[in-house]
Amino acid sequence: MALVTSVRDYINRMLQDISGMKVLILDSETVSNVSIVYSQSELLQKEVFLVEMIDSISASNESMSHLKAVYFVRPTSENVQKLRHQLANPRFGEYHLFFSNLLKDTQIHILADSDEQEVVQQVQEFYADFVAGDPYHFTLNMAANHLYMLPAVVDPSGLQRYSDRVVDGIAAVFLALKRRPVIRYQRTSDTAKRIAQETAKLMYQQESGLFDFRRTESSPLLLVIDRRDDPVTPLLNQWTYQAMVHELIGLQDNKVDLRAIGSLPKDQQVVSLLQYREVVLSSEQDAFFKSNMYENFGDIGMNIKRMVDDFQQVAKSNQNIQTVGTNIASLKLYSCKDVQLLVLVTVIICECFGFTEDMARFVDNYPEYKKMQGNVSKHVTLVTEMSKLVEARKLMLVSQTEQDLACNGGQGAAYEAVTDLLNNESVSDIDRLRLVMLYALRYEKENPVQLMQLFNKLASRSPKYKQGLVQFLLKQAGVEKRTGDLFGNRDLLNIARNMARGLKGVENVYTQHQPLLFQTMESITRGRLRDVDYPFVGDHFQQGRPQEVVIFMVGGTTYEESRCVALQNSTNSGIRFILGGTAVLNSKRFLMDLEEAQRISRSGSHMV
Amino acid sequence: MATRNRTTVYRKHRDACKSARAPLSDSFGGPVIEMVSGSFARSNHSSYAPLSTNDPGPSSSNDAFTIGLPPAWVDDSEEITFNIQKVREKMGELAKAHSKALMPTFGDNKGDQRAVEMITHEITDLLRKSEKRLHNLSTRGGGPSEESNLRKNVQRSLATDLQSLSMELRRKQSTYLKRLQQQKEGQDGVDLEFNMNGKMSRMDEDEELGGMGFDEHQTVTLKEGQHVSAEREREIQQVLGSVNDLAQIMKDLSALVIDQGTIVDRIDYNIQNVSTSVGEGYKQLQKAERTQREGAMVKCAMILLILCFIMIVLLILKNVLF
Repeated sequence: MALVTSVRDYINRMLQDISGMKVLILDSETVSNVSIVYSQSELLQKEVFLVEMIDSISASNESMSHLKAVYFVRPTSENVQKLRHQLANPRFGEYHLFFSNLLKDTQIHILADSDEQEVVQQVQEFYADFVAGDPYHFTLNMAANHLYMLPAVVDPSGLQRYSDRVVDGIAAVFLALKRRPVIRYQRTSDTAKRIAQETAKLMYQQESGLFDFRRTESSPLLLVIDRRDDPVTPLLNQWTYQAMVHELIGLQDNKVDLRAIGSLPKDQQVVSLLQYREVVLSSEQDAFFKSNMYENFGDIGMNIKRMVDDFQQVAKSNQNIQTVGTNIASLKLYSCKDVQLLVLVTVIICECFGFTEDMARFVDNYPEYKKMQGNVSKHVTLVTEMSKLVEARKLMLVSQTEQDLACNGGQGAAYEAVTDLLNNESVSDIDRLRLVMLYALRYEKENPVQLMQLFNKLASRSPKYKQGLVQFLLKQAGVEKRTGDLFGNRDLLNIARNMARGLKGVENVYTQHQPLLFQTMESITRGRLRDVDYPFVGDHFQQGRPQEVVIFMVGGTTYEESRCVALQNSTNSGIRFILGGTAVLNSKRFLMDLEEAQRISRSGSHMV
Repeated sequence: MATRNRTTVYRKHRDACKSARAPLSDSFGGPVIEMVSGSFARSNHSSYAPLSTNDPGPSSSNDAFTIGLPPAWVDDSEEITFNIQKVREKMGELAKAHSKALMPTFGDNKGDQRAVEMITHEITDLLRKSEKRLHNLSTRGGGPSEESNLRKNVQRSLATDLQSLSMELRRKQSTYLKRLQQQKEGQDGVDLEFNMNGKMSRMDEDEELGGMGFDEHQTVTLKEGQHVSAEREREIQQVLGSVNDLAQIMKDLSALVIDQGTIVDRIDYNIQNVSTSVGEGYKQLQKAERTQREGAMVKCAMILLILCFIMIVLLILKNVLF
């Protein structure tokens, strides 16, 4: 069952048994969970006529007792406190409380104690505690994502909170799927190990009753891995639609904020669309996006052109109807008898052209026409903006070098290319930083002199560059720290495979990179995931191949990886993969996390 | 998908807390707290809750929970919902009447036609009435408060229902007309039906045509042509009329109806209340532009008037002085 369907089912069940006018109260995290899968118009159909945040509800004292309150919040202590105050002075007729994760007994005591007026009708746990953007991709939208890079001693309470949130999210996913998995983790990552062990404790010891589901012939697998095993993927520039929008503009909860773009076109249609400054890119609601989200930029351009042509056909026929309509109306102004003959003639002509039917059909189809117009403007705006950015930042040139660094060998040529681009004035600071990072990750051990030269050049060229960021990255995700064979140069088989690929040539030089995740998924499919690198937690072992696999990446996933998972799922290999992470990264976000982690570790070392 | 119901645990705690509290208040000698009556009043599931007497006794803070009447606009929304229900029933009737009118019979089936027309009129009336009522739900002034959001959302939901019903009506009408025309045109080149209506106007047109100097044969053909045109005109008028009505209703409603799949359909976006202020801002901009333009025109008019006045004065002076 896909994740989106699970969350929708939870929300449907929440609302279906309560009749009458309802108000839905959410907190800052559940609002993302709900908005991404459920639309406002669907809520209205379920008679939910008001949606509020839990903070603003307590601000007012106005009594609305004709409404029934449906709370859907995370079971945090802040939310419980706010609920307590609300229950002491209830504003609504009835209260139905749904929590997105496990409640502690103490929290139930606190709520029951404050409910003197007995307004609470039900208290339930509905485990929709994750943001399901796509059917096989979820995220937890965590703010302080950088904590996974720091050792536990630096901020033990922060790391504990981080780990708790991740465990809650993973538990919710499995409760929604009604499965209890076998857990494996990446050996080299402490954070991954900690999270895996705590999840196992929750599922097999603390709440073993809750997780005791019907056993299927092969248990599903939960694999907890670390972002730092593949630092290349978030640094690369993307060329497939969804990933590219996130990389260049930014996609949050399937919404694009166009305010990030500087100047906007003055086209009439676009103005009406951009009145709202935000657009929705959801594969569930937009058929064009669903068929194009994993296509590369060139193909998207062609498909959009085709869509615009189709739309212009429809628009032209509507235009005709409007002009004929005005003509007829003006004729009718004259009611003298000479014109009767003229009217007869016009009427006959119009009948021949089936005018009345056309006009009637126009009125019938107007809503679809309007929707099509909105959709076309949205995609055209996005693609135009992205082309402009590609042109301004010379991304075709930069990306070619990036892909070479990620996929092909040749240290000397790589050094030359990177130096050239560093010298190029039109390349932006962030792109320069990315290039040096990719070079450093690839050729960490070869020719340290040239590496040093690149660092110096970068520091001199980019004034805002935080000193030592690249070195920090190497310390976190350097070749000693990584488990997987990121560049395909560790074992003989991979080297041979790379050579074969190089000889065959690539279809598209900009999309030749495959994330490390692809290899991991292949190993799982073949049943060859090494125990040494990915040990099991506890004494549960996997018999044979799993049929469902949830891969959780601590530190965040990327849309390139979610594309990889979706394509893998469509090959019907018998295994269904689901990917999740603490956030969805683009290069800006990944670099931000790195900088934050570096800043904290520096200040920490000063204190020590 | 797994869920867990904690209501029983919760109720147990709540009762335990209540019994722990009750002996405490007794010791103060105050009135016994009656909480049971509150819960019975709430078991009524309709959106209207019965008024319970608000008796502010000495221990007012612990009174039975009073449920007030919902605000007045809920009456409007209830009536519109009721109308929508009636429209749905009538649509069923209309479908039946359509099929009956389309059945081939001997003799004219004017009775069925009239029934169809009557039901169609009733439905259109109901829709128009509901749409007028819908505008009463608009908030008058005040910032984006919870109450105004609530009204706006109720309005939107009813607008969506009304719009879908009008579209359905239109579709039914057009299929009915098409099938009717196919039937009638099979018999004659002309609609027999509309010929009946044409008979009335034939009388007064006779004299006028005679005066134009046409001979008999031409007069007849011309008369027939006129009738055809008159009937066609009437038919088109009818279609245009109903299309106009519908277009009007849809235009009014489209401002309220949410476009599915767009940003306005997102819950998180609506919570931020940006839409109202942006829409307002846009309207204000347009208004400002208009007044500015008009201001310029008014200024020009004033200047012209003043110039005219000055010229008249000069003229008078010229005449007086000479």
